[in-house]
Amino acid sequence: MLVIRRHPGDSIRIGDDIEIHILELSPSKVTVGVNAPRAVSVTRGEIALTKEQNLAAADSFTVDRLTDLTGAVRRVL
Amino acid sequence: MPNCQTKYFKTSDYDEASVLNFPAGLPGFESEQRFIALEQPAHNPLVFLQSLATPDLCFVALPVLAIEPSYELEMDESDLELLALDPSETPATSKGLLRLALVTISESGITANLLAPIVINTASLRAVQAISPGQKYSRQHPLREVVREAACL
Repeated sequence: MLVIRRHPGDSIRIGDDIEIHILELSPSKVTVGVNAPRAVSVTRGEIALTKEQNLAAADSFTVDRLTDLTGAVRRVL
Repeated sequence: MPNCQTKYFKTSDYDEASVLNFPAGLPGFESEQRFIALEQPAHNPLVFLQSLATPDLCFVALPVLAIEPSYELEMDESDLELLALDPSETPATSKGLLRLALVTISESGITANLLAPIVINTASLRAVQAISPGQKYSRQHPLREVVREAACL
């Protein structure tokens, strides 16, 4: 992974048309601004991971497996 | 009373006043804003979050506190706004918030997403999938762990 040290007010360019601005620092947070073409999806990393998990969850169970799941959950909880 | 097609239970009657409203949808399902929570005695304690728009979309969930009795809810400001919580309340103290963890079966077994619980404001029925700002909980919390611990007692 490329690691770059930047100060508030500095920026980073990715390719020709994506720019990340370091706006503000606090003890536990960094505020960044992203300029990117509309076609590029910019998402917080944890939202992308949650999306993957949701897609897996939505596709996890068939009617036939529900009874097994209920049994397993009752044994566990 | 209106009824809807469901993924697991054929059709189900529901009360319009009990429809959960997800103003932002869920990550991956942004356009799904209306769900009903179904509970079936045969499948207790599971809760089924059935989409009203898409019969084939139904999440299987468990109350977070059934999995992790000491669970501490953390929410970021934008999620709190979506929930329209009474300003005098915080997510940690509010009794009016129902928390559900979505359940997944994968190669690693049955897991529940404790990092991003579904939080429902029981007064307004507004709901949001609140991605916890910390790293305290797992997106794939194994339900089997509880069994192992119990076996050690």
